[in-house]
Amino acid sequence: MMKYAFLSSLTLLAVALISLPSFDFQAPPISDIQDFRLKNVDGRMVSMKDFPDAKGFIIIFTCNHCPFAKLYPPRLNALNEKYKPLGYPLIAISSTDTILYEEDTYPKMVEKATSEAFNFPYLFDETQSVAQNFKAQKTPHAYVLQKVKRNWVVRYNGAIDDNGGEPEAVTQAFVANAVDALLAGKEVAVKETKSIGCQIYFRKTK
Amino acid sequence: MMHYTKTSYLLLLLCSFTCTMCQTQAQQSYNPLWIPDTLAGPDFNLTLKDTFAQLIPKGNQTITAGINGKIWGPTLIMHKGETVHFNIQNKLNDSTTLHWHGFHLPAVMDGGPHQVIPPGTVWQPYWKVTNNAATYWYHPHLHEMTEEQITKGLGGLIIVRDEIESALALPRTYSVDDIPLVLTDRDFNSANQFVTVPYGDSMMVNGTLRAQHTVPAQVVRFRILNGAIERSYNIGFGDNRAFYVIGSDGGLLNAPVSVTRYLLHAGERIEILVNFGGQIGQSVDIKAFNSTLGNFVAGGENFSNGPFANYLGKKDFTMVHFNVGAATANPITTIPTVLTNNVLLNVADANITRKLTISDSAGVTNPPILGPNAFIINHKLFDINYNEYAVPLGNTEIWQITSSSIFGHPFHIHDVEFNIISVNGAAPAPAQAGWKDVVFIPGRTGGQNAVVKFIARFEDYADTLHPFMYHCHIALHEDEGMMGQFIVKDNAASATTEVDASADFALFPNPAQDRLFLRFNDPDMLAYYIRITDALGRTLYMLPQPDLHAGLDVSKLKAGVYNLECRDTKTKKSRTKRFVMGNNR
Repeated sequence: MMKYAFLSSLTLLAVALISLPSFDFQAPPISDIQDFRLKNVDGRMVSMKDFPDAKGFIIIFTCNHCPFAKLYPPRLNALNEKYKPLGYPLIAISSTDTILYEEDTYPKMVEKATSEAFNFPYLFDETQSVAQNFKAQKTPHAYVLQKVKRNWVVRYNGAIDDNGGEPEAVTQAFVANAVDALLAGKEVAVKETKSIGCQIYFRKTK
Repeated sequence: MMHYTKTSYLLLLLCSFTCTMCQTQAQQSYNPLWIPDTLAGPDFNLTLKDTFAQLIPKGNQTITAGINGKIWGPTLIMHKGETVHFNIQNKLNDSTTLHWHGFHLPAVMDGGPHQVIPPGTVWQPYWKVTNNAATYWYHPHLHEMTEEQITKGLGGLIIVRDEIESALALPRTYSVDDIPLVLTDRDFNSANQFVTVPYGDSMMVNGTLRAQHTVPAQVVRFRILNGAIERSYNIGFGDNRAFYVIGSDGGLLNAPVSVTRYLLHAGERIEILVNFGGQIGQSVDIKAFNSTLGNFVAGGENFSNGPFANYLGKKDFTMVHFNVGAATANPITTIPTVLTNNVLLNVADANITRKLTISDSAGVTNPPILGPNAFIINHKLFDINYNEYAVPLGNTEIWQITSSSIFGHPFHIHDVEFNIISVNGAAPAPAQAGWKDVVFIPGRTGGQNAVVKFIARFEDYADTLHPFMYHCHIALHEDEGMMGQFIVKDNAASATTEVDASADFALFPNPAQDRLFLRFNDPDMLAYYIRITDALGRTLYMLPQPDLHAGLDVSKLKAGVYNLECRDTKTKKSRTKRFVMGNNR
């Protein structure tokens, strides 16, 4: 499996190199993102349509157990505090396999949301279907969505920023930059980065 | 989606390697050599975890996997003759295994591809250490995942001590005058993340890029492991000084062997002595003199593109930079002349010569092969359900490996330490004339197949269910199927004709308290393997050959219903019983 990944990465490297001179290589925006309905840590069900005034969303696939994801809660609170009033609320979704990780089960999510004082919804993707729809790879994996007519268009996906362990050393705040660009009516400069963290493994369907 | 372009860090490396005028700058960019902590036995608790580490000094952290830490694992100290017990907790996202490279132990404890530890599970192997004093190691061995899991940093060293070694005047103060050097190379992408490739662009020693260390001005011992995925390192010092090889994979040599170069292949270890006496204030590098390697030696090729392209290929490069500091109190100042008296195996005692072949096979697509050819042993790819050999218990065997492969392969066998008889007809070099568990099989040259012979004795641990492995220790080749397996069979043991009922058992007390007892119908029956799973099917404990006299410690289990699957030693059939953990404990 990893060799397929490697081979495909080589192909992509070739593509990237070929397209480098023109600097116009663009991944087509993912527009087939579907709304979801997932249980929040407060027991209520949450969907994107519950936010009629939202211009878009910051969706973060994360989880309790992952050491790299554990570095980000204060930064997630700050993102939501800043961008929710501007029309880009943050929603966190946990999609990891709870058979593998007991720490990621719903009761533990409730505890985490309380202890870290999450100011955003933290949703339990029990069937992992939402992560599959988004093609989320790692925890944390960030998506910046923009509402275009009735569709949700991915304007950015990848890492939250470029330094997990040292927030003060961040040089590129990818998510914040993307939302700022959208708010200014500009095109997002960095549309995609590699999400870094713990692999989300999808359970085999029976 | 992912752009694996080379990083600016690589550019920095390129500059520092090629720049001769900026010596000072280069020195400033050294990082202190990290030396793993030691962990003393006989009881070891190891936790394998996905985590991250600041490997590149600036910028994002690298996602790694570590054992009791952020990358790699503690150096385990064992003593010959003691029984070591492990609690190994897999907190990775993935299944894994942990193999005790070089150890003579029961196959069911070996940690090869058959002893899979699912995520969330505790595995409890144990064995009596019978190996000689030497440097061994432990690493994952999950088939088709070995390269990826070793790349992430899983592994660790093991130091075995014994009476013979302890009686010698050798340096043995860990991290002071007895220093481990784990040689690897890694590739980083633009986001500072590991890429799983056979050859990296950046040399790492003990997980440290551009490592430097201060050594005392006296005789210092280095325990060197080639922990790379593929590359061999032609080890030498920048000033071409002589160093003394005192030990190979499985024990001390009879006497130190003075050399200026030693070509160390993947999986191999050597212990060396180096005299830094009277050199306070001076500096010297340990380098890999790989520009002199032939094309068939890993790291001797010079690919400029393709999946094997890398910056270090067919080049000489620095591995560690040493500064010589003050000597310690009571330093070792001389190289001993005699170390031990190895009683090697006698060719005349061999019961059989097994003839193996290594060859190249084009057109293999499953598993996918990175290069043009799959490398195969005995004309077949690895099949986890097929045992190539049943070695009679107590046999002394010559293994003769004939290779028509264009490439050289470090061949490793589990269960035993062996003596090399010959490489292409020549007796082994003095530094390889002791105990080994990896032998380099050269590539076919000048139209001639390579032929390597070694001799080993297969003692103590017969088991017809769990096999031992033999394979190429280049993790890429091994994952691609360059591996086979054998069982050790006790032909004197009576056939299993027991009535099944004798292997039936009861669990008590049920509901269980802190200890759970298992009683077979036949009181002489022993447990071969016990697995405890919860109601969701999570495997919580894997217990090879557990001692049942004091009961199983289940005190950490929460209230609920559990299944205990037991395979007995005689019929090797498994039965499952349910038990309950009560609330009021």
